[in-house]
Formats: sequence, C-alpha cells, structure tokens
Amino acid sequence: MIRYECFEWMAPRIVNQIVVTSLSGQRIEWGHLSKHEGNLLLGSMGNALAVGVGLALALPHRRVIVLESDGSLLLSLFNLPTLANLGPQNLAVFVFDNQIYSGTRISEPTATAGKANLEVIAKGAGIDTAVTVRDLEEFKKTAAPALDGKGLKFVVVKVEESRGHRRIERTNVDLLENKYRFVRYLEKTEGKPIFLGHG
Amino acid sequence: MEALSGTGASQGVEIVETELASRLVNGLRLAGINFMTYLPETRLSQILPIMREDSSIQLAPVASEAEGVSIAAGAALGGKQVACYMEGTGVYVSTYALLTVAERFGVPMLLLVSYVGSLSDQRNSFLYVRRGTRMIPVLEALGLEYHVLYDGENLETRIKDAVRMMHALKLPVVLLFTGEFTV
Repeated sequence: MIRYECFEWMAPRIVNQIVVTSLSGQRIEWGHLSKHEGNLLLGSMGNALAVGVGLALALPHRRVIVLESDGSLLLSLFNLPTLANLGPQNLAVFVFDNQIYSGTRISEPTATAGKANLEVIAKGAGIDTAVTVRDLEEFKKTAAPALDGKGLKFVVVKVEESRGHRRIERTNVDLLENKYRFVRYLEKTEGKPIFLGHG
Repeated sequence: MEALSGTGASQGVEIVETELASRLVNGLRLAGINFMTYLPETRLSQILPIMREDSSIQLAPVASEAEGVSIAAGAALGGKQVACYMEGTGVYVSTYALLTVAERFGVPMLLLVSYVGSLSDQRNSFLYVRRGTRMIPVLEALGLEYHVLYDGENLETRIKDAVRMMHALKLPVVLLFTGEFTV
C-alpha cells in the first residue's frame, strides 16, 4: 500500500470535513488530489496534529481530519498525551508511516523503521482507540467511519515508500492564499466571521 | 513571632497576586479572548483557578508551549479569539511553531508571557536571568510586537490594546509580565 492510493480513495469522501496536512510528499499529493476549500496545507513538520486539535476544539460540530506522517509526529510526541486528555470527539488522525524521512531524498529511516511503534506510543499516551492498518482494504474499512463518524480516531497507516509526489507539479497557492481560502470557506459554512477587524 | 509575621507577609502577597490575577482575567474577557492554551508557571498561575470558575474562556492545557501555539493557531483559524499563557522560557520552546505556523500563516494570537529573569522580575536569580536578558532580542528577531507590563495600571486597557493590535496585524502580539506581577 502506498499513501497516494489511500488519498485517491479519501479525496472524494471529503465533503464538509476540515483537513489539515503536514509537510512534504503528503502535502503535495493531497493538494494535487483534493481541491477542497476546507484543506489547510500547513507545510510544517510537527504542527499539523496540534493545529487540527485547535480546529476541532473551536468547531466541535465539524469533523476534522489530520493527515500526519511518522517524521512529523515524532517531532512532536508531546501532542499525544495532550490529544488524549483533551479528547476531541470530532477528530480523526491518520499517520502515514512510511518509516523514512522522504524529504531527505536519501530515504533516511525514522525511528519507526527501528523499534518505535506509534500505535503503542499513542495508546501509552492514553489514546485507547489507536490502531494500525497495513493494507488498502483494511485502511478503507477503518477510514470510512473515521471520516464521517464520531469519536476520536487515531489510525497509523503503514505504507511503502513512494516517490510519486516528486513528479507532481507544485502548487503556486502560497500559505497565505491557502489560509484565506480556508478561512473564507469556514466563514461561509459556519456563517460567522473568523478574523475580526475591518479596514 | 517571626513565623507569624512571615505568614502575614505571605498573605499580603497573595492578595496582591489574586487581585492582579482577577483583573488580568477580566481584561482578557473584556477584550474578547475566549480560548487559551497554557502551560502553567510560577508568576501568573493565579489566573488559572479564576478562569476555571468561569466558562467564558475555553482552556486547553498543553505539555509544551510549542503545541500551545499550534493548538491556539488552529482554534484561531476556527474562529476563536485566542491567547497562549506561558513562562518566558516557553517563547524559546515555541519559537519554531511561532515562526512556521503563527507568523508564516499570519494568525492573530495573544501571548501572555511571564517575563522571568527580566530586570524587574522580583524573583530573579541565576536560574532565570539568562532567559530574561535574551527575551527582547528573540522577540525582535521573530518580528513580534511586544509590550512590557510592570504593574496593574490600566491593565484592562493594555490587554484590549494588544488584542486590537493582534487582529490588525494578524500576527501574535506578546504581553510580557514583570514587576508587580512577579512578587
């Protein structure tokens, strides 16, 4: 299983959910496959999960989907006990664990290529629902209720290394444009202003 | 007798702390803050029990000031008016999140920072002083607006001013608390 085929399956199932991605290949692939206005393509390692938690707490009636990676999560493991204790029931976290720092272009292994097990770490932090999936069918079965349903979900998706994102043309939508598009989408769908202040 | 005097002095300090803390919390409410992440510390911690008695500010305890900034950023993008309460050391811990999320995306947030190790920190010692003396250069390097508060004079107005500034800039604005806030 590779991450791209998971995203191909997920993208058409995102309707009114909010999606936050971290960095590198998954940001490029998700941005290529999904033109959803509720995508926040962070482009920052170690921050997607926390930003997603903040969105989930601010908008408890909206489903928030976080697309994380092993390298990004390992950078901010303190997120896990915080997530467990805050426990937003409208949040689903998918950690695409390819066991490498793909951005290095030399496939340097992450700690999950060694002894670290993100599902066990998450459970130890108090996220009782953490699971690991290892093939596409299992992914679909687990992801379907996580995308649409209720409850805090934490899914570690074991994927093979793939380099397809390097062939995808990069977006020219910069971070500020992405932010404003995202915020205007929320203002439209929530019927309230997000940023205060007028010119 | 010494012990009794000591207790009296201690109670006096607590009254000052509680009064300033109440005004600080009230100032946040009046300025529209309705969400705050925090990692508690020693100087301003009296604000937390006061906030817990009132549901007008949603609280999110964190394990690191770095995630405090990122969670607050998410909440702000979801429509909350946010603050992050942290010790001065938390600014160093959260510098990466401040730069790559809050500053780069342009997210308004109020940082409530106890200015440990500053010149007017009444509990200053060799433990804190280096953290204090580097604070302003670090904030300036990050390009963040800041204001130092030494006492409770016009506290509510200063908080309101800072919140207006953060919305105008769409960036973090920092309030550094020292002097009377650190007794």
